[in-house]
Amino acid sequence: MSGSIVLALRLLTALALYGFLGWVLYYLYREVQRQSFTLANRRVPGISLMVRHGSGAPALKYFSQPEITLGRDPGCDIPLMDDTVSARHAQLVYHHGQWWLEDLGSTNGTILNDSLITMPTVITSGDEIKCGSARLGISLSENVIIEPTQRLEKRQP
Amino acid sequence: MNDKTQNRLLQWAALFLFLQSIILTLAPAVRERSWDVDYRLSHWAGFLAWAVLVALANHAAIKYLPERDPYIFPAAALLSGWGLLTIWRLDENFGLRQTAWLGISVMVFILALHFNRHFSLLRRYKYLILSGGLLITALTLIFGTNPLGIGPRLWLGCCGVYFQPSEPLKILLVIYLAAYLADRANIRLISLPLLIPTLLVTGLALLLLLVQRDLGTASIFITIFTIMIFIATGRRRVIFSAIVVLSCALLVGYFMIDIIQVRVMGWLSPWEDPTGNSYQIVQSLLAVANGGTIGRGIGIGSPLLVPVAISDFIYAAIAEETGLFGILGLIALIWLILARGLITSLRAADRFKRYLAAGVVTYLGIQSLLIIGGNIRLLPLTGVTLPFVSYGGSSLLTSYFAMFLLLTISNTEDEEPAELRDPKPYSLLAGGLALGFATCALTTAWWAIIRAPDLLTRTDNPRRAIADRFVERGELVDTNNQPINITQGKSGSFLRSYLYPDLASVIGYTHPVYGQAGLEASLDNYLRGLQGNPTSLILWNQLLYGTPPAGLDVRLSLNLTLQAQADQLLGEHRGAIILLNAETGEVLVMASHPTYDPNNLDTEGDALARDANAPLLNRATQGLYPIGTSLLPLLRAKFGENQPSEMQLEEFYKELGLFEALPISTTTAFETETVNMQDLRASPLHVVTAAAALSHHGVLPSPRLATAVNTPEQGWVVLPALGQPREVLNAQSADEAALSFLQQGKPYWSHVGQASHDSARITWLVAGTLPNWRGTPLTLVVSLEENNPSLVRSIGASFLDFVLNQ
Repeated sequence: MSGSIVLALRLLTALALYGFLGWVLYYLYREVQRQSFTLANRRVPGISLMVRHGSGAPALKYFSQPEITLGRDPGCDIPLMDDTVSARHAQLVYHHGQWWLEDLGSTNGTILNDSLITMPTVITSGDEIKCGSARLGISLSENVIIEPTQRLEKRQP
Repeated sequence: MNDKTQNRLLQWAALFLFLQSIILTLAPAVRERSWDVDYRLSHWAGFLAWAVLVALANHAAIKYLPERDPYIFPAAALLSGWGLLTIWRLDENFGLRQTAWLGISVMVFILALHFNRHFSLLRRYKYLILSGGLLITALTLIFGTNPLGIGPRLWLGCCGVYFQPSEPLKILLVIYLAAYLADRANIRLISLPLLIPTLLVTGLALLLLLVQRDLGTASIFITIFTIMIFIATGRRRVIFSAIVVLSCALLVGYFMIDIIQVRVMGWLSPWEDPTGNSYQIVQSLLAVANGGTIGRGIGIGSPLLVPVAISDFIYAAIAEETGLFGILGLIALIWLILARGLITSLRAADRFKRYLAAGVVTYLGIQSLLIIGGNIRLLPLTGVTLPFVSYGGSSLLTSYFAMFLLLTISNTEDEEPAELRDPKPYSLLAGGLALGFATCALTTAWWAIIRAPDLLTRTDNPRRAIADRFVERGELVDTNNQPINITQGKSGSFLRSYLYPDLASVIGYTHPVYGQAGLEASLDNYLRGLQGNPTSLILWNQLLYGTPPAGLDVRLSLNLTLQAQADQLLGEHRGAIILLNAETGEVLVMASHPTYDPNNLDTEGDALARDANAPLLNRATQGLYPIGTSLLPLLRAKFGENQPSEMQLEEFYKELGLFEALPISTTTAFETETVNMQDLRASPLHVVTAAAALSHHGVLPSPRLATAVNTPEQGWVVLPALGQPREVLNAQSADEAALSFLQQGKPYWSHVGQASHDSARITWLVAGTLPNWRGTPLTLVVSLEENNPSLVRSIGASFLDFVLNQ
C-alpha cells in the first residue's frame, strides 16, 4: 500500500521537475515572441530635410528609412549635383534611438553647424549640415516606437 | 514579467522539493512494507529553512536587480534544495550543517546584492582579491587538514568547521583574469602582458598538483584560464596548447602521484579490482544501474553504499533515487544556468562583465562535467564538488557568489552590448559544454538501462544482501515438509536460520559477507522470488520497492529422519554418505563430514575458510576420491569374469557419466585430467548414481535434490528432473551381478572397495536393494577418508537395517 502511494508521489515529483523545465521552455518561447514583436514594431522616426542647393528653390524631402546617403552619385538618397560634393559624401544613420551624421571620407568635409565633423555625431532638429556648397536643414519627427509589451498585455484578458 | 517568471519557477521548485520531502518521510514504511515504522521527519527542518532562505534571496534579487535574468536564480535554488534534501537523506548531521551553510550562503548573497553598486571595485582591486585568495590557499600548505583525517589536506578548519580555500580561489581567479584581460585591448598570444597570468596560473596548478595532489582543481584552473584567454583573443591555438598542458599534467600526475595513478587505473579498468582501487567507481555505477529509469524513490535506494556519497558521489546518489528521469532534469537545470550565463555574457555592457560572466560559466560548467563524468566513468575520478548540489560549505558559498555575479551582470537596462570581435569562442564554448552534458546524459542512460541487468547481478552488489533483510526468503523443507532453512524476524531485520546445521555443507548458506553456497546458491532464484512468481508481480515489486517479491519455498528430496541417522553414524569421521532412490534418482540422504554450523558464520566464517579439514566442502558432490575397486559389481555386470582393457574401461566409465557434471541443482566435481583408469577419481554422488543401475535393472537414474516449489498461484509445483534416466547395463546381467554380491541374511547387496591416491587412503562401501525388492529401490554409498573396511561395513549395515525397517 505504502509502495503504491509513494509510487504515485514519485511520478508527481517527476512531473514537478519537468513542470519547472516546461515553464522554462514556455517562458523562453514568450521571450522570443516578445523580442520579435519589439523588433518588428521598432519604427524609425521620420526625418525631414530642407535641401538648399545652388540657386534652385529649397526642396523639402522626407525619409523613413534608417540610412540616408548624400553625394554626387545619382544612386544616393539625396543627390547633390555639385562639383564641391564627393560622389558619396556623407550619411545619416539611425541607431541607438538617435540620428547620426557620418562623413564618408569626402574631399571637402562635412560641416555641422559651422564645425567640421571627424566622427559620427548626433543631430537634432534645427541643425544645419553643409556639404560643399549644399546646405541641409534638419527637422525630426516625434518618436513613434510602439511599446510591444503594452500591446501584448492589452491583448490578454 | 521578469518577477512573474522567477516567482512561478520558484513555486515549481518548492512543489518538487515538498513532494520529495513527503516521499522521504514515507520511505521507511515502503522499505519495511508496514505502517508501523519510525517515519523520517528531521529533513523537514531543511525544507522549511530552504523555503525561508530562498524567499529572502528572491525578495532581495527582485529589489536590487529589477532587470536580472529570471531563470538563473530559480534553477540554482532548485539545485541547492535538491542537494540539501539528498544530504539530509544520506546523513542527518551533514544535512544540518549544509542547512547552516545554505543560510550563510544566502546571507552573503543578499549582502553582496546590497552592495552591488560597488561592483566595479572588483575590477579595480583585482590584485588585492587575487593575492588574498592565494594567501589563504597558501595557508592550507601549512595549516591544512582533512575533515576525514585522511586524503589531501585541502581544508582550513577549527572547532568542527572546515573551509576549503581552493573553492573561492577559482572564482577569485576568474575575477582577476576578467579584469586583467579587459584592461588590455588587443592581446597578442606571445607577448609580455599574457606572460604574467600564464606563469601565475601554471605555477598555481603545478603547486596544487604536486603539493596538494589535487588533479581536479589543477585541471579546473588550467581550463578556466585557457577558455578565458580563448574568449579574449579568439585564437584556437590556445585550446590546443591547453590540451597539451593538461595531458602533460595528467602524465606527470600519473607517474609521480600514487592517488592519481590509482584513479586513472580505476577509470581504465574498473572491473579488475572492484573491491580495491576501483571500489568507489564500481559502487557508483551500481548505484546508477539500480536507479534505472524512474529511480527507487528518495530514501528507498541504498546510495550510502557508495563512499563519500554526500559530496563527490552525490550525482550517483541522485541517480539511484530519482533514476534517469531525475538525472535528465538535473542536467537540464545545470545547462539552463550555463546557457543563461552565456547569454548574460554576450549581453554584458562592457568587456570586464563579459569576460567575468564567461569565466563564471566556464567554472560552473567544467566543475560539473568533471565530477559527473567521474561518477559515471566518463573521466578519471577527481574529488571536486558538484556546484550547488554537493555537500560542502565553501563549494555552496562559491556557487552562490558565482550566481550573484551572473545575476548582477545580467541586470542591464537597455544598454547596448559591448562590441564583440569574434563570435567563434562563444559558439565553441556553448557547443563544447552542450556536447559534454549530452554525453553525460547518454552515458548515464547506458549504465542505468542497457548495462543495468548485468551490473545488478554482480556478486559485489550489496543491494541483494540488503534486499534479503527486507524481503522474506523462501524456506527449504525436506520431503515431509519439515523445515530445514527458514527466515525469521520481521521486515528490516530478516535473518536466515538453519534448523538442521549438520546439513550445512550440502545445503549451504546465504550470508551478507560470505555470499551464498550450496543449494542456497543454486536455488537462489526460487528462494528470492525471481523465478516461479508471475513476471508482472516481479516487475511490480521492482517498481514499488526495488526488491523482488517474497521468496518461494522449495521442497527437497532429503528425508530428515534418515539424514539424522546417517549423520549420527558418520560422526567425527571424514567422509560422505548418500542414499539414493534408484528409480527416481531422488537423493534421500546426503551427509558430508566434518560439517559446521552456519548459524555461527558471523563469528566463524574466516576460520572455516582456512580450516584444513575443509568443512565448507560438500564431500558428497565435490569431493573427488579415487574410485579404486568400488565399482567392481558394475564391472562384473558388464564384463563378467573377463578382465576389461583400459579402452573398454574408459568407454564404460564414460557411459556411467563419470567424466561429466551430474545434472543436479548443485555443482558436482568430476575428473578433468586424462589419467590411468586405476587412478580415476569421482565424487560419491557419481559413484552412487552409477551403482543405482544394479538396483534398478541396469537403468541409471538422473539424481535430483529439489523436487517441488510452492508457487502462490498453483501451490506445490513439481520441479522437473534435470536429466534423463538411461540404460547402461543389460537388465538381466545387472540383476545377476547384484545377486552375486548378496549379503548373507540381508535383503541387499553390498561391496567394500578400497583405493589410494598419493598417501590418502579411501574406503568405499557401495550397496543397494536387490532386484526383487518390493519397496522403493535404494542405493547407498559410504566413503571414508581412512583405511577402515570394518567401520565402513558396520556403518553400511546399521544404516541399511535402519532404512529398510522404516
